[in-house]
Amino acid sequence: MRNTTAIMQRELLSLFFSPIGYIVIAGFLLITGVIVLVTESFGPGKPATLRSVFDFTPYVLTIIIPAISMRTISEEYRSGTIETLTTAPVSDMQFVVGKYLAALIFYAIMLSGTLVYLVLMMRFGNPDVGASLAAYFGLLLLGVSFTAFGVFTSSLTHNQIVAWMLGMVPLMLFVWFAASIVGKIEGVPRQLFQQVNILRHLDQFNRGLVSTEGVVFFAATAVLFLFLAVKVVESRRWR
Amino acid sequence: MIEVRNLSKYYGNLCAVNGISFSIKEGEIVGFLGPNGAGKTTTIRILTCFQPATTGSASVAGHDVFTESMAVRAQVGYLPESVPLYQEMRVREYLRFRGKIHGLERTARERAIQRVAERCWITDVINRPIGQLSKGYRQRVGLADSLLHNPRVLILDEPTIGLDPTQIRATRTLIRELAQDHTVLLSSHILPEVEATCKRIIIINQGRIVASGTPTELRQRITGDSELIAEFKGSTEEIAAGLQKLDGVSRVETTMRDGWTRVTVTTQKDVREEIYKLSIEKGWPMRELRRDVATLEDFFVKIVAGARDMDTASVGAGDKR
Repeated sequence: MRNTTAIMQRELLSLFFSPIGYIVIAGFLLITGVIVLVTESFGPGKPATLRSVFDFTPYVLTIIIPAISMRTISEEYRSGTIETLTTAPVSDMQFVVGKYLAALIFYAIMLSGTLVYLVLMMRFGNPDVGASLAAYFGLLLLGVSFTAFGVFTSSLTHNQIVAWMLGMVPLMLFVWFAASIVGKIEGVPRQLFQQVNILRHLDQFNRGLVSTEGVVFFAATAVLFLFLAVKVVESRRWR
Repeated sequence: MIEVRNLSKYYGNLCAVNGISFSIKEGEIVGFLGPNGAGKTTTIRILTCFQPATTGSASVAGHDVFTESMAVRAQVGYLPESVPLYQEMRVREYLRFRGKIHGLERTARERAIQRVAERCWITDVINRPIGQLSKGYRQRVGLADSLLHNPRVLILDEPTIGLDPTQIRATRTLIRELAQDHTVLLSSHILPEVEATCKRIIIINQGRIVASGTPTELRQRITGDSELIAEFKGSTEEIAAGLQKLDGVSRVETTMRDGWTRVTVTTQKDVREEIYKLSIEKGWPMRELRRDVATLEDFFVKIVAGARDMDTASVGAGDKR
Protein backbone atom coordinates (compact mmCIF):
# COMPACT_ATOMS: atom_id res chain seq x y z
CA MET A 1 0.00 0.00 0.00
CA ARG A 2 2.78 2.40 0.89
CA ASN A 3 4.53 1.63 -2.38
CA THR A 4 1.35 2.27 -4.33
CA THR A 5 0.88 5.60 -2.55
CA ALA A 6 4.51 6.59 -3.11
CA ILE A 7 4.29 5.82 -6.83
CA MET A 8 0.97 7.64 -7.08
CA GLN A 9 2.33 10.75 -5.37
CA ARG A 10 5.39 10.78 -7.57
CA GLU A 11 3.35 10.39 -10.71
CA LEU A 12 0.95 13.19 -9.72
CA LEU A 13 3.93 15.42 -9.04
CA SER A 14 5.27 14.70 -12.52
CA LEU A 15 1.86 15.30 -14.10
CA PHE A 16 1.67 18.70 -12.47
CA PHE A 17 5.28 19.49 -13.35
CA SER A 18 4.92 18.71 -17.02
CA PRO A 19 3.28 21.20 -19.39
CA ILE A 20 1.11 18.37 -20.72
CA GLY A 21 -0.90 18.34 -17.49
CA TYR A 22 -1.81 22.00 -17.76
CA ILE A 23 -2.45 21.82 -21.49
CA VAL A 24 -4.87 18.95 -20.94
CA ILE A 25 -6.72 20.74 -18.14
CA ALA A 26 -6.86 24.00 -20.10
CA GLY A 27 -8.05 22.20 -23.24
CA PHE A 28 -10.75 20.32 -21.38
CA LEU A 29 -12.06 23.38 -19.55
CA LEU A 30 -12.00 25.40 -22.77
CA ILE A 31 -14.02 22.80 -24.64
CA THR A 32 -16.56 22.32 -21.85
CA GLY A 33 -16.82 26.11 -21.62
CA VAL A 34 -17.57 26.29 -25.31
CA ILE A 35 -20.14 23.49 -24.93
CA VAL A 36 -21.87 25.49 -22.20
CA LEU A 37 -21.84 28.48 -24.51
CA VAL A 38 -23.11 26.86 -27.72
CA THR A 39 -25.78 24.77 -26.00
CA GLU A 40 -27.00 27.97 -24.38
CA SER A 41 -27.37 26.12 -21.08
CA PHE A 42 -27.61 29.46 -19.34
CA GLY A 43 -30.00 30.96 -21.93
CA PRO A 44 -33.05 32.78 -20.60
CA GLY A 45 -36.13 30.61 -20.38
CA LYS A 46 -34.12 27.35 -20.71
CA PRO A 47 -34.52 24.60 -18.12
CA ALA A 48 -31.95 24.87 -15.33
CA THR A 49 -29.98 21.76 -16.21
CA LEU A 50 -26.52 20.85 -17.45
CA ARG A 51 -27.84 17.83 -19.39
CA SER A 52 -26.46 19.03 -22.71
CA VAL A 53 -23.00 19.52 -21.18
CA PHE A 54 -23.06 16.05 -19.68
CA ASP A 55 -24.20 14.60 -23.01
CA PHE A 56 -21.27 16.09 -24.90
CA THR A 57 -18.51 15.53 -22.37
CA PRO A 58 -17.98 11.77 -23.03
CA TYR A 59 -17.03 12.56 -26.63
CA VAL A 60 -14.39 15.00 -25.42
CA LEU A 61 -13.13 12.55 -22.83
CA THR A 62 -12.31 9.91 -25.46
CA ILE A 63 -9.49 12.26 -26.49
CA ILE A 64 -8.64 13.86 -23.17
CA ILE A 65 -8.35 10.82 -20.90
CA PRO A 66 -5.85 8.93 -23.08
CA ALA A 67 -3.81 12.16 -23.08
CA ILE A 68 -3.69 12.07 -19.28
CA SER A 69 -2.78 8.40 -19.04
CA MET A 70 -0.47 8.15 -22.08
CA ARG A 71 2.73 8.96 -20.18
CA THR A 72 2.10 6.86 -17.08
CA ILE A 73 3.95 3.69 -18.06
CA SER A 74 5.40 4.48 -21.49
CA GLU A 75 7.50 7.28 -20.02
CA GLU A 76 9.03 4.82 -17.55
CA TYR A 77 10.07 2.62 -20.47
CA ARG A 78 11.42 5.55 -22.48
CA SER A 79 13.48 7.11 -19.71
CA GLY A 80 14.65 3.73 -18.42
CA THR A 81 13.37 4.47 -14.92
CA ILE A 82 11.43 1.22 -15.17
CA GLU A 83 14.77 -0.42 -14.45
CA THR A 84 15.35 1.27 -11.09
CA LEU A 85 11.69 0.99 -10.20
CA THR A 86 11.26 -2.71 -10.90
CA THR A 87 14.56 -3.63 -9.28
CA ALA A 88 13.33 -1.98 -6.06
CA PRO A 89 11.02 -4.04 -3.86
CA VAL A 90 7.87 -2.93 -5.69
CA SER A 91 5.45 -5.42 -7.22
CA ASP A 92 4.20 -4.91 -10.76
CA MET A 93 0.69 -4.53 -9.43
CA GLN A 94 1.67 -1.78 -6.99
CA PHE A 95 3.43 -0.08 -9.85
CA VAL A 96 0.47 -0.22 -12.25
CA VAL A 97 -2.14 0.66 -9.62
CA GLY A 98 -0.07 3.59 -8.35
CA LYS A 99 0.20 4.96 -11.87
CA TYR A 100 -3.49 4.40 -12.47
CA LEU A 101 -4.59 6.16 -9.28
CA ALA A 102 -2.43 9.17 -10.12
CA ALA A 103 -4.02 9.51 -13.56
CA LEU A 104 -7.48 9.03 -12.05
CA ILE A 105 -6.94 11.67 -9.36
CA PHE A 106 -5.66 14.04 -12.02
CA TYR A 107 -8.82 13.38 -14.03
CA ALA A 108 -11.02 14.00 -10.97
CA ILE A 109 -9.25 17.31 -10.32
CA MET A 110 -9.76 18.28 -13.94
CA LEU A 111 -13.42 17.29 -13.86
CA SER A 112 -14.02 19.23 -10.67
CA GLY A 113 -13.13 22.37 -12.63
CA THR A 114 -16.50 22.12 -14.37
CA LEU A 115 -18.34 22.20 -11.03
CA VAL A 116 -18.22 25.96 -11.44
CA TYR A 117 -21.12 25.71 -13.93
CA LEU A 118 -23.21 23.78 -11.45
CA VAL A 119 -22.48 26.36 -8.76
CA LEU A 120 -23.39 29.19 -11.14
CA MET A 121 -26.59 27.43 -12.10
CA MET A 122 -27.52 27.03 -8.44
CA ARG A 123 -26.86 30.73 -7.99
CA PHE A 124 -29.10 31.81 -10.87
CA GLY A 125 -31.64 29.02 -11.05
CA ASN A 126 -32.91 25.93 -9.34
CA PRO A 127 -31.32 22.87 -10.95
CA ASP A 128 -31.90 19.31 -9.80
CA VAL A 129 -28.72 18.94 -7.74
CA GLY A 130 -29.23 15.22 -7.16
CA ALA A 131 -29.46 14.49 -10.87
CA SER A 132 -26.40 16.61 -11.56
CA LEU A 133 -24.38 14.81 -8.91
CA ALA A 134 -25.48 11.48 -10.38
CA ALA A 135 -24.26 12.68 -13.77
CA TYR A 136 -20.93 13.70 -12.23
CA PHE A 137 -20.70 10.30 -10.61
CA GLY A 138 -21.29 8.79 -14.04
CA LEU A 139 -18.49 10.85 -15.57
CA LEU A 140 -16.21 9.84 -12.72
CA LEU A 141 -17.02 6.17 -13.39
CA LEU A 142 -16.38 6.74 -17.07
CA GLY A 143 -12.95 8.04 -16.04
CA VAL A 144 -12.37 4.97 -13.85
CA SER A 145 -12.89 2.81 -16.92
CA PHE A 146 -11.23 4.96 -19.62
CA THR A 147 -8.17 5.68 -17.48
CA ALA A 148 -7.60 1.96 -16.93
CA PHE A 149 -7.76 1.48 -20.68
CA GLY A 150 -5.34 4.38 -21.16
CA VAL A 151 -2.88 2.94 -18.65
CA PHE A 152 -3.12 -0.39 -20.47
CA THR A 153 -2.27 1.19 -23.85
CA SER A 154 0.54 3.13 -22.16
CA SER A 155 2.01 -0.17 -20.99
CA LEU A 156 2.26 -1.38 -24.60
CA THR A 157 4.74 1.15 -25.95
CA HIS A 158 7.58 3.43 -24.94
CA ASN A 159 6.18 6.22 -27.10
CA GLN A 160 3.62 8.52 -25.49
CA ILE A 161 2.03 9.55 -28.78
CA VAL A 162 1.59 5.93 -29.81
CA ALA A 163 0.03 5.25 -26.41
CA TRP A 164 -2.32 8.17 -26.92
CA MET A 165 -3.45 7.01 -30.36
CA LEU A 166 -3.84 3.40 -29.18
CA GLY A 167 -6.04 4.68 -26.38
CA MET A 168 -7.95 7.29 -28.29
CA VAL A 169 -8.94 5.49 -31.48
CA PRO A 170 -10.80 2.53 -29.91
CA LEU A 171 -12.52 4.82 -27.42
CA MET A 172 -13.60 7.17 -30.20
CA LEU A 173 -14.90 4.32 -32.35
CA PHE A 174 -16.78 2.98 -29.39
CA VAL A 175 -18.30 6.19 -28.10
CA TRP A 176 -18.75 8.27 -31.23
CA PHE A 177 -20.29 5.61 -33.41
CA ALA A 178 -21.90 3.36 -30.81
CA ALA A 179 -25.42 4.59 -31.51
CA SER A 180 -25.22 4.05 -35.26
CA ILE A 181 -23.57 0.65 -34.87
CA VAL A 182 -26.32 -0.54 -32.55
CA GLY A 183 -28.86 0.57 -35.15
CA LYS A 184 -27.15 -1.47 -37.88
CA ILE A 185 -26.80 -4.85 -36.19
CA GLU A 186 -29.36 -7.33 -34.96
CA GLY A 187 -29.84 -10.39 -32.81
CA VAL A 188 -27.27 -11.59 -30.34
CA PRO A 189 -24.48 -9.22 -31.50
CA ARG A 190 -26.86 -6.34 -30.90
CA GLN A 191 -27.63 -7.55 -27.38
CA LEU A 192 -23.94 -8.01 -26.70
CA PHE A 193 -23.13 -4.60 -28.02
CA GLN A 194 -25.87 -3.06 -25.92
CA GLN A 195 -24.22 -4.50 -22.84
CA VAL A 196 -20.91 -2.82 -23.57
CA ASN A 197 -22.47 0.37 -24.94
CA ILE A 198 -20.80 3.05 -22.84
CA LEU A 199 -23.24 5.81 -23.73
CA ARG A 200 -26.25 3.73 -22.78
CA HIS A 201 -24.78 3.15 -19.31
CA LEU A 202 -23.83 6.78 -18.99
CA ASP A 203 -27.25 7.99 -20.08
CA GLN A 204 -28.80 6.43 -16.99
CA PHE A 205 -26.54 8.50 -14.77
CA ASN A 206 -27.34 11.61 -16.80
CA ARG A 207 -30.99 11.04 -16.09
CA GLY A 208 -30.15 10.98 -12.38
CA LEU A 209 -30.21 7.22 -12.08
CA VAL A 210 -27.31 5.54 -10.30
CA SER A 211 -27.64 1.98 -11.55
CA THR A 212 -25.78 -1.00 -10.18
CA GLU A 213 -25.43 -2.27 -13.73
CA GLY A 214 -23.57 0.89 -14.73
CA VAL A 215 -21.31 0.89 -11.67
CA VAL A 216 -20.45 -2.78 -12.21
CA PHE A 217 -19.81 -2.23 -15.92
CA PHE A 218 -17.34 0.61 -15.44
CA ALA A 219 -15.62 -0.97 -12.44
CA ALA A 220 -15.31 -4.34 -14.18
CA THR A 221 -13.78 -2.90 -17.34
CA ALA A 222 -11.32 -0.95 -15.16
CA VAL A 223 -10.27 -4.14 -13.36
CA LEU A 224 -9.95 -5.98 -16.68
CA PHE A 225 -7.66 -3.41 -18.28
CA LEU A 226 -5.57 -2.94 -15.13
CA PHE A 227 -5.12 -6.69 -14.99
CA LEU A 228 -3.99 -6.66 -18.63
CA ALA A 229 -1.60 -3.78 -17.94
CA VAL A 230 -0.04 -5.70 -15.03
CA LYS A 231 0.38 -8.72 -17.31
CA VAL A 232 2.03 -6.61 -20.00
CA VAL A 233 4.47 -5.13 -17.47
CA GLU A 234 5.10 -8.61 -16.07
CA SER A 235 5.68 -10.06 -19.53
CA ARG A 236 9.06 -8.31 -19.53
CA ARG A 237 10.13 -10.96 -17.04
CA TRP A 238 9.48 -13.92 -19.28
CA ARG A 239 9.97 -12.44 -22.73
CA MET B 1 26.98 -13.41 -1.36
CA ILE B 2 26.43 -13.76 -5.09
CA GLU B 3 26.21 -17.24 -6.60
CA VAL B 4 25.82 -17.75 -10.31
CA ARG B 5 25.51 -21.24 -11.75
CA ASN B 6 25.42 -22.06 -15.47
CA LEU B 7 23.56 -18.91 -16.26
CA SER B 8 22.46 -18.41 -19.87
CA LYS B 9 20.34 -15.79 -21.52
CA TYR B 10 19.06 -15.89 -25.07
CA TYR B 11 17.34 -13.04 -26.87
CA GLY B 12 15.55 -14.99 -29.53
CA ASN B 13 18.39 -16.89 -31.19
CA LEU B 14 21.04 -14.50 -29.97
CA CYS B 15 23.00 -15.81 -27.04
CA ALA B 16 23.98 -12.96 -24.76
CA VAL B 17 25.23 -15.00 -21.82
CA ASN B 18 26.41 -18.54 -22.33
CA GLY B 19 26.50 -20.73 -19.25
CA ILE B 20 28.57 -18.62 -16.90
CA SER B 21 29.27 -19.51 -13.29
CA PHE B 22 31.00 -17.52 -10.59
CA SER B 23 30.65 -16.69 -6.96
CA ILE B 24 31.40 -13.61 -4.94
CA LYS B 25 32.01 -13.75 -1.21
CA GLU B 26 30.77 -11.28 1.35
CA GLY B 27 32.87 -8.12 1.48
CA GLU B 28 34.60 -8.75 -1.85
CA ILE B 29 34.91 -6.10 -4.51
CA VAL B 30 34.82 -7.73 -7.90
CA GLY B 31 35.22 -6.22 -11.33
CA PHE B 32 33.23 -7.57 -14.21
CA LEU B 33 35.26 -6.78 -17.26
CA GLY B 34 34.59 -7.23 -20.93
CA PRO B 35 34.26 -5.40 -24.22
CA ASN B 36 30.97 -3.80 -25.15
CA GLY B 37 28.33 -6.42 -25.86
CA ALA B 38 30.11 -9.15 -23.89
CA GLY B 39 27.07 -9.85 -21.72
CA LYS B 40 27.93 -7.79 -18.64
CA THR B 41 24.73 -5.78 -18.50
CA THR B 42 22.61 -8.84 -19.23
CA THR B 43 24.19 -10.74 -16.34
CA ILE B 44 23.74 -7.75 -14.05
CA ARG B 45 20.11 -7.37 -15.05
CA ILE B 46 19.50 -10.99 -14.17
CA LEU B 47 21.18 -10.54 -10.79
CA THR B 48 19.07 -7.47 -10.03
CA CYS B 49 15.82 -9.28 -10.99
CA PHE B 50 15.14 -7.01 -13.96
CA GLN B 51 15.19 -9.90 -16.41
CA PRO B 52 14.95 -13.64 -15.97
CA ALA B 53 17.66 -16.03 -17.10
CA THR B 54 16.86 -18.49 -19.88
CA THR B 55 18.59 -21.32 -18.03
CA GLY B 56 20.71 -21.67 -14.94
CA SER B 57 20.28 -20.07 -11.57
CA ALA B 58 21.57 -17.15 -9.58
CA SER B 59 21.22 -16.13 -5.98
CA VAL B 60 22.06 -12.95 -4.14
CA ALA B 61 22.44 -12.82 -0.35
CA GLY B 62 21.10 -16.36 -0.16
CA HIS B 63 17.89 -15.66 -2.08
CA ASP B 64 17.14 -16.96 -5.55
CA VAL B 65 16.70 -14.09 -7.99
CA PHE B 66 13.71 -15.68 -9.64
CA THR B 67 11.71 -17.24 -6.83
CA GLU B 68 12.59 -14.78 -4.06
CA SER B 69 12.86 -11.68 -6.16
CA MET B 70 11.51 -9.27 -3.52
CA ALA B 71 14.03 -10.44 -0.90
CA VAL B 72 16.86 -10.00 -3.39
CA ARG B 73 15.69 -6.54 -4.42
CA ALA B 74 15.63 -5.43 -0.78
CA GLN B 75 19.29 -6.45 -0.39
CA VAL B 76 20.66 -5.01 -3.61
CA GLY B 77 21.61 -1.46 -4.47
CA TYR B 78 21.72 -1.11 -8.24
CA LEU B 79 23.06 1.63 -10.46
CA PRO B 80 22.08 0.92 -14.07
CA GLU B 81 24.39 1.94 -16.86
CA SER B 82 22.16 4.73 -18.19
CA VAL B 83 21.48 6.14 -14.69
CA PRO B 84 17.76 6.62 -15.24
CA LEU B 85 16.31 9.39 -13.08
CA TYR B 86 13.14 11.45 -13.10
CA GLN B 87 14.35 14.67 -14.68
CA GLU B 88 11.51 16.80 -13.35
CA MET B 89 12.09 15.95 -9.69
CA ARG B 90 14.43 17.64 -7.29
CA VAL B 91 17.22 15.51 -5.90
CA ARG B 92 15.74 15.45 -2.39
CA GLU B 93 12.26 14.61 -3.70
CA TYR B 94 13.70 11.80 -5.74
CA LEU B 95 15.63 10.33 -2.83
CA ARG B 96 12.54 10.63 -0.62
CA PHE B 97 10.52 8.71 -3.19
CA ARG B 98 13.18 6.03 -3.44
CA GLY B 99 13.36 5.83 0.34
CA LYS B 100 9.61 5.31 0.54
CA ILE B 101 9.56 2.44 -1.92
CA HIS B 102 12.40 0.85 0.00
CA GLY B 103 10.18 0.97 3.06
CA LEU B 104 12.11 3.55 5.09
CA GLU B 105 10.08 5.45 7.68
CA ARG B 106 10.20 9.22 7.71
CA THR B 107 13.00 9.78 10.24
CA ALA B 108 15.10 6.88 8.97
CA ARG B 109 14.53 8.16 5.45
CA GLU B 110 15.70 11.70 6.19
CA ARG B 111 18.73 10.35 8.01
CA ALA B 112 19.53 8.03 5.11
CA ILE B 113 19.21 10.90 2.63
CA GLN B 114 21.57 12.99 4.75
CA ARG B 115 24.03 10.10 4.91
CA VAL B 116 24.13 9.28 1.21
CA ALA B 117 24.12 12.93 0.17
CA GLU B 118 27.27 13.52 2.19
CA ARG B 119 28.85 10.30 1.06
CA CYS B 120 28.28 11.04 -2.62
CA TRP B 121 28.95 14.79 -2.41
CA ILE B 122 25.55 15.92 -3.59
CA THR B 123 24.59 18.08 -0.58
CA ASP B 124 25.10 21.25 -2.62
CA VAL B 125 22.64 20.18 -5.33
CA ILE B 126 20.09 18.46 -3.11
CA ASN B 127 17.38 21.03 -3.84
CA ARG B 128 18.03 21.34 -7.57
CA PRO B 129 15.94 19.68 -10.28
CA ILE B 130 17.70 16.58 -11.58
CA GLY B 131 17.20 17.71 -15.18
CA GLN B 132 19.53 20.66 -14.57
CA LEU B 133 22.39 18.60 -13.18
CA SER B 134 25.56 17.72 -15.03
CA LYS B 135 26.30 14.13 -15.96
CA GLY B 136 28.70 13.80 -13.06
CA TYR B 137 26.14 14.91 -10.51
CA ARG B 138 23.46 12.65 -11.98
CA GLN B 139 25.81 9.72 -11.71
CA ARG B 140 26.32 10.54 -8.05
CA VAL B 141 22.60 10.95 -7.45
CA GLY B 142 22.16 7.48 -8.95
CA LEU B 143 24.88 6.13 -6.70
CA ALA B 144 23.31 7.85 -3.67
CA ASP B 145 20.02 6.24 -4.58
CA SER B 146 21.58 2.78 -4.73
CA LEU B 147 23.05 3.29 -1.23
CA LEU B 148 19.90 4.68 0.35
CA HIS B 149 18.60 1.48 1.91
CA ASN B 150 22.08 0.43 3.00
CA PRO B 151 22.09 -2.70 0.83
CA ARG B 152 24.40 -5.61 1.51
CA VAL B 153 25.23 -5.91 -2.16
CA LEU B 154 26.03 -3.06 -4.51
CA ILE B 155 25.82 -3.69 -8.24
CA LEU B 156 27.19 -0.90 -10.37
CA ASP B 157 26.97 -1.05 -14.16
CA GLU B 158 29.69 1.10 -15.73
CA PRO B 159 29.71 3.59 -12.85
CA THR B 160 32.24 6.00 -14.33
CA ILE B 161 31.09 6.10 -17.93
CA GLY B 162 30.76 9.66 -19.20
CA LEU B 163 32.57 11.28 -16.31
CA ASP B 164 35.57 13.57 -16.60
CA PRO B 165 38.97 12.39 -15.27
CA THR B 166 38.65 14.16 -11.92
CA GLN B 167 35.20 12.73 -11.34
CA ILE B 168 36.38 9.28 -12.39
CA ARG B 169 39.11 9.39 -9.78
CA ALA B 170 36.72 10.62 -7.09
CA THR B 171 34.17 7.94 -7.97
CA ARG B 172 36.80 5.20 -7.82
CA THR B 173 37.88 6.37 -4.39
CA LEU B 174 34.26 6.37 -3.30
CA ILE B 175 33.68 2.86 -4.60
CA ARG B 176 36.76 1.60 -2.76
CA GLU B 177 35.44 3.17 0.42
CA LEU B 178 32.03 1.62 -0.12
CA ALA B 179 33.61 -1.78 -0.48
CA GLN B 180 34.43 -1.67 3.22
CA ASP B 181 30.74 -1.98 4.14
CA HIS B 182 29.22 -3.61 1.08
CA THR B 183 29.88 -6.45 -1.30
CA VAL B 184 30.49 -4.76 -4.63
CA LEU B 185 30.13 -6.04 -8.18
CA LEU B 186 31.20 -3.46 -10.69
CA SER B 187 31.18 -3.74 -14.45
CA SER B 188 33.36 -1.92 -16.88
CA HIS B 189 34.89 -2.18 -20.30
CA ILE B 190 37.82 -0.06 -19.17
CA LEU B 191 40.56 -2.10 -17.65
CA PRO B 192 42.48 0.44 -15.54
CA GLU B 193 39.23 1.21 -13.85
CA VAL B 194 38.74 -2.34 -12.66
CA GLU B 195 42.41 -2.70 -11.86
CA ALA B 196 42.30 0.42 -9.71
CA THR B 197 39.25 -0.51 -7.69
CA CYS B 198 38.80 -4.27 -7.59
CA LYS B 199 40.43 -7.07 -5.66
CA ARG B 200 39.30 -9.65 -8.17
CA ILE B 201 38.50 -9.50 -11.85
CA ILE B 202 36.18 -11.64 -13.92
CA ILE B 203 36.77 -11.21 -17.63
CA ILE B 204 33.84 -12.01 -19.85
CA ASN B 205 33.72 -12.10 -23.61
CA GLN B 206 30.96 -13.20 -25.97
CA GLY B 207 28.87 -14.39 -23.06
CA ARG B 208 31.57 -16.59 -21.52
CA ILE B 209 34.00 -16.13 -18.68
CA VAL B 210 37.42 -16.23 -20.26
CA ALA B 211 39.53 -15.56 -17.17
CA SER B 212 39.25 -14.64 -13.55
CA GLY B 213 41.57 -13.92 -10.67
CA THR B 214 43.32 -11.11 -8.86
CA PRO B 215 45.07 -8.52 -11.03
CA THR B 216 48.43 -10.00 -9.99
CA GLU B 217 47.39 -13.54 -10.88
CA LEU B 218 46.12 -12.46 -14.26
CA ARG B 219 49.32 -10.56 -14.91
CA GLN B 220 51.44 -13.59 -14.10
CA ARG B 221 49.33 -15.77 -16.29
CA ILE B 222 50.04 -13.68 -19.36
CA THR B 223 53.68 -13.09 -18.77
CA GLY B 224 54.77 -16.70 -18.43
CA ASP B 225 57.95 -15.63 -20.15
CA SER B 226 58.88 -12.25 -18.80
CA GLU B 227 61.29 -9.84 -20.36
CA LEU B 228 64.30 -8.30 -18.69
CA ILE B 229 65.93 -5.25 -20.15
CA ALA B 230 69.50 -4.34 -19.33
CA GLU B 231 72.20 -2.03 -20.67
CA PHE B 232 75.92 -2.73 -20.29
CA LYS B 233 79.14 -1.36 -21.63
CA GLY B 234 81.31 -4.09 -23.09
CA SER B 235 81.69 -6.50 -25.95
CA THR B 236 78.30 -7.28 -27.38
CA GLU B 237 79.14 -10.91 -28.22
CA GLU B 238 80.57 -11.57 -24.80
CA ILE B 239 77.56 -10.11 -23.10
CA ALA B 240 75.12 -12.08 -25.24
CA ALA B 241 77.02 -15.30 -24.66
CA GLY B 242 77.29 -14.69 -20.93
CA LEU B 243 73.62 -13.99 -20.48
CA GLN B 244 72.57 -16.90 -22.65
CA LYS B 245 74.27 -19.27 -20.21
CA LEU B 246 72.15 -18.12 -17.26
CA ASP B 247 69.57 -20.56 -15.97
CA GLY B 248 66.10 -20.11 -17.47
CA VAL B 249 67.07 -17.74 -20.24
CA SER B 250 65.47 -18.70 -23.52
CA ARG B 251 66.44 -15.82 -25.77
CA VAL B 252 68.80 -12.85 -25.79
CA GLU B 253 68.58 -9.94 -28.19
CA THR B 254 71.07 -7.13 -28.37
CA THR B 255 71.10 -3.70 -29.88
CA MET B 256 73.69 -0.95 -29.71
CA ARG B 257 72.75 2.39 -28.33
CA ASP B 258 75.25 5.24 -28.10
CA GLY B 259 78.09 2.96 -27.11
CA TRP B 260 76.03 0.83 -24.72
CA THR B 261 74.75 -2.62 -25.43
CA ARG B 262 71.05 -2.92 -24.80
CA VAL B 263 69.93 -6.49 -24.09
CA THR B 264 66.45 -7.89 -24.04
CA VAL B 265 66.39 -11.21 -22.21
CA THR B 266 63.42 -13.51 -22.48
CA THR B 267 63.24 -15.74 -19.44
CA GLN B 268 60.98 -17.95 -17.39
CA LYS B 269 62.36 -16.77 -14.07
CA ASP B 270 63.50 -13.51 -12.63
CA VAL B 271 67.27 -13.61 -13.17
CA ARG B 272 68.00 -9.99 -12.32
CA GLU B 273 70.22 -10.94 -9.41
CA GLU B 274 72.31 -13.30 -11.57
CA ILE B 275 72.66 -10.62 -14.22
CA TYR B 276 73.89 -8.17 -11.62
CA LYS B 277 76.42 -10.67 -10.27
CA LEU B 278 77.58 -11.46 -13.80
CA SER B 279 78.15 -7.80 -14.60
CA ILE B 280 80.26 -7.37 -11.47
CA GLU B 281 82.25 -10.52 -12.22
CA LYS B 282 82.94 -9.51 -15.80
CA GLY B 283 83.41 -5.86 -14.99
CA TRP B 284 80.70 -4.59 -17.36
CA PRO B 285 79.38 -1.24 -16.23
CA MET B 286 75.59 -1.43 -16.06
CA ARG B 287 73.22 1.55 -16.33
CA GLU B 288 69.85 -0.14 -16.51
CA LEU B 289 68.23 -3.34 -15.36
CA ARG B 290 64.52 -3.80 -15.23
CA ARG B 291 61.80 -6.36 -15.57
CA ASP B 292 59.13 -5.59 -18.08
CA VAL B 293 55.91 -6.67 -16.46
CA ALA B 294 53.12 -6.93 -18.96
CA THR B 295 50.17 -4.73 -18.15
CA LEU B 296 46.73 -6.14 -17.68
CA GLU B 297 45.76 -4.09 -20.68
CA ASP B 298 47.89 -6.40 -22.86
CA PHE B 299 46.25 -9.36 -21.27
CA PHE B 300 42.79 -8.01 -21.82
CA VAL B 301 43.48 -7.17 -25.44
CA LYS B 302 45.04 -10.59 -26.02
CA ILE B 303 42.15 -12.41 -24.41
CA VAL B 304 39.50 -10.50 -26.26
CA ALA B 305 41.33 -10.71 -29.57
CA GLY B 306 42.09 -14.38 -28.91
CA ALA B 307 38.52 -15.27 -28.17
CA ARG B 308 37.50 -13.47 -31.29
CA ASP B 309 39.30 -15.89 -33.56
CA MET B 310 38.25 -18.63 -31.15
CA ASP B 311 40.43 -21.42 -29.86
CA THR B 312 43.58 -19.69 -31.01
CA ALA B 313 43.48 -17.96 -27.65
CA SER B 314 46.37 -19.57 -25.88
CA VAL B 315 46.59 -17.22 -22.96
CA GLY B 316 44.31 -17.63 -20.01
CA ALA B 317 41.56 -19.14 -22.10
CA GLY B 318 40.34 -22.52 -21.03
CA ASP B 319 40.03 -21.17 -17.54
CA LYS B 320 36.61 -21.90 -16.12
CA ARG B 321 35.35 -23.18 -19.41
